[in-house]
Amino acid sequence: MAGAPLVMSPDAHGDARPGSRINVGQTERLVSGLVGGALLLAGVRRRSLGGAALALVGGDLVRRGVTGHCEIYSALDVSTADGAEPAAGAPNATQVVERSITINGSPADLYRYWRDPQYLAHVLGDAATGRLVGEAREHWVVRAPLGREVVFDTEYLEDRPGEIIRWRTLPGADVPHEGTLRFNAAPGDWGTEVHLRVRYDPPGGVLGDAAAKLFAAVPDTLAARTLRRFKSLVETGELPTLAHNPSGRRDTTDGRAGGVSGAGYDAGGTHLPLSHHTT
Amino acid sequence: MRALLWNGVNDLRVETVPDPELVNPHDVIVRVTASTTCGSDLHLIDGYIPTMREGDVIGHEFMGVVEEVGPEVKKIRKGDRVVVPSFICCGACWYCRHDLYSLCDNTNPTPEAQDVALGYPTAGIYGYTHAFGGYAGAHAQYVRVPFGDVDCFPVPDGLSDDQALFMSDAGPTGYMGADFCALRGGETVAVWGAGGVGLMAMQSARLLGAARVIAIDRFPERLALARQHAGAETINYAESDSVLDQLKEMTAGRGPDACIDAVGMEAHGTGVQYAYDRVKQALRLETDRGQALREAIMACRKGGTLSILGVYGLMDKFPVGVLMNKGLTVRSAQQHGQAYVPRLLEHAARGELDASYLATHHFPLEDAVRGYDMFKHKTDGCVRAVFTP
Repeated sequence: MAGAPLVMSPDAHGDARPGSRINVGQTERLVSGLVGGALLLAGVRRRSLGGAALALVGGDLVRRGVTGHCEIYSALDVSTADGAEPAAGAPNATQVVERSITINGSPADLYRYWRDPQYLAHVLGDAATGRLVGEAREHWVVRAPLGREVVFDTEYLEDRPGEIIRWRTLPGADVPHEGTLRFNAAPGDWGTEVHLRVRYDPPGGVLGDAAAKLFAAVPDTLAARTLRRFKSLVETGELPTLAHNPSGRRDTTDGRAGGVSGAGYDAGGTHLPLSHHTT
Repeated sequence: MRALLWNGVNDLRVETVPDPELVNPHDVIVRVTASTTCGSDLHLIDGYIPTMREGDVIGHEFMGVVEEVGPEVKKIRKGDRVVVPSFICCGACWYCRHDLYSLCDNTNPTPEAQDVALGYPTAGIYGYTHAFGGYAGAHAQYVRVPFGDVDCFPVPDGLSDDQALFMSDAGPTGYMGADFCALRGGETVAVWGAGGVGLMAMQSARLLGAARVIAIDRFPERLALARQHAGAETINYAESDSVLDQLKEMTAGRGPDACIDAVGMEAHGTGVQYAYDRVKQALRLETDRGQALREAIMACRKGGTLSILGVYGLMDKFPVGVLMNKGLTVRSAQQHGQAYVPRLLEHAARGELDASYLATHHFPLEDAVRGYDMFKHKTDGCVRAVFTP
């Protein structure tokens, strides 16, 4: 899951290394390519988290079609290529998302912003909401594609100012996971390196299920966008937006309607009067 | 408001669209008093650069008067007459703090496309594709300028619109291209392309110490401007058997110390290589016709500097071996305008850099389609068409 799913895998031409050979059958490759292309286009046109997820999934399907190699199949030890039977009842393998970003600010400041509920809510935008329930328990709702919501409660495992935040979900979570956010001083005048790592169990049936497949790109997209938004808010005090962007189009896909167009990050712009950013 | 829209390949129209509004706290709204055509727009209009959408407002080189300011804008005031560089920059990220403004980390609202295309996203641009952020362009009555304090530069009293307008893009791009040549005084600089950017690069090379400037183009009127305003020697490649031989002779066998490419992906040329590029580009097998750039690489003296200002995508037959074996230094960027505009305005205020001659043709915004047509076909000696809303 980590890394850009749109990048062609250089060793995807059927060499013998495990995890790199063609494991997608011909027909499925063709379908992958076509469906992926359609999703990619649809996703790029829709400026929301769901749209970005669509685009990422679409891009990955195109890559699958072109290379005949599927990372997810590979991770699950599944193959639909000639001579291979789909593995029956493959377990929901644990997935890992890792994303990093470098932000102009000190580890102490970045930690403080992240732990400020109002600040974090602004970073997450419409993509997710969290609130404190009880002493150290937080209740989270994450918006997933197709209008679905992913709900879970979390508790902190580790919380060291300026260094690390580690949390895990409590029993009953829609997507059980464990996450780490680590702050390291970056070299020179780069500021701070922020590393996000989330291990999670994918929801629902593994493959063949469109929703699960759509969901597969959400954690990576969410991680990337959240870190970018955090960076922009810390460095500039606002989020780049196309809200109210003049165009000759009648649709609202560039946010002209000011965020009423449903779930997604792109709503709105920044109205929070932030004067405490680091620059 | 009225604005020039891209509605498809070679389909521009002036239409009515909603006015922009203050959205973010550092925004300002600029009432455009003048905007101008840029050669890089032709790549969009001709359909060589993807991620345009029907209904996009185009245009990225402009100036105007500040109409509204957001609550966090400290320096720029309502009523300021300002020129605005084409790249939108936050002024706070590592790149902005190191004067690499067009590489800004924080102004592209849709960075995912560039993650794929470039590896890392760059700054947003007004009216220049959704890969570059999708911001509405400047051929309009009003423009929302994010980070007004970073991106608006008050115009010194006494400069006309035509004198200030080109400090938005052609001026800083050309100046940056000359700055890349790291001139110490006495050098010979050859510049491919005598359009707005090329002419500004020639004049800047002079300001920065070049002893000789050689202009290469095929339009006699543009070469005349190069002679007149930059004291350039000129080569009309359409009348030349070999630009290479000519440059070699003009420099006693050494070659120019620095070569600036101010042409880009739709280069014109002559001969077999040009035919090859035209066919491949028409078939969408390459995005670029790269004859000017290839010629610059070949012509540059050993150990010289190649400064690339033209806009390119993917090019065939790029002579890396020549570059490497001759030990050339390559410098390139989209314009880091915010780093250069203040000193350009000083040069302009002192009368050392008058760019107003680029404004060969003026149109009301309503006639922008005609303006682009003249600009594209270089009719009547058109160097730049300037639009007034």
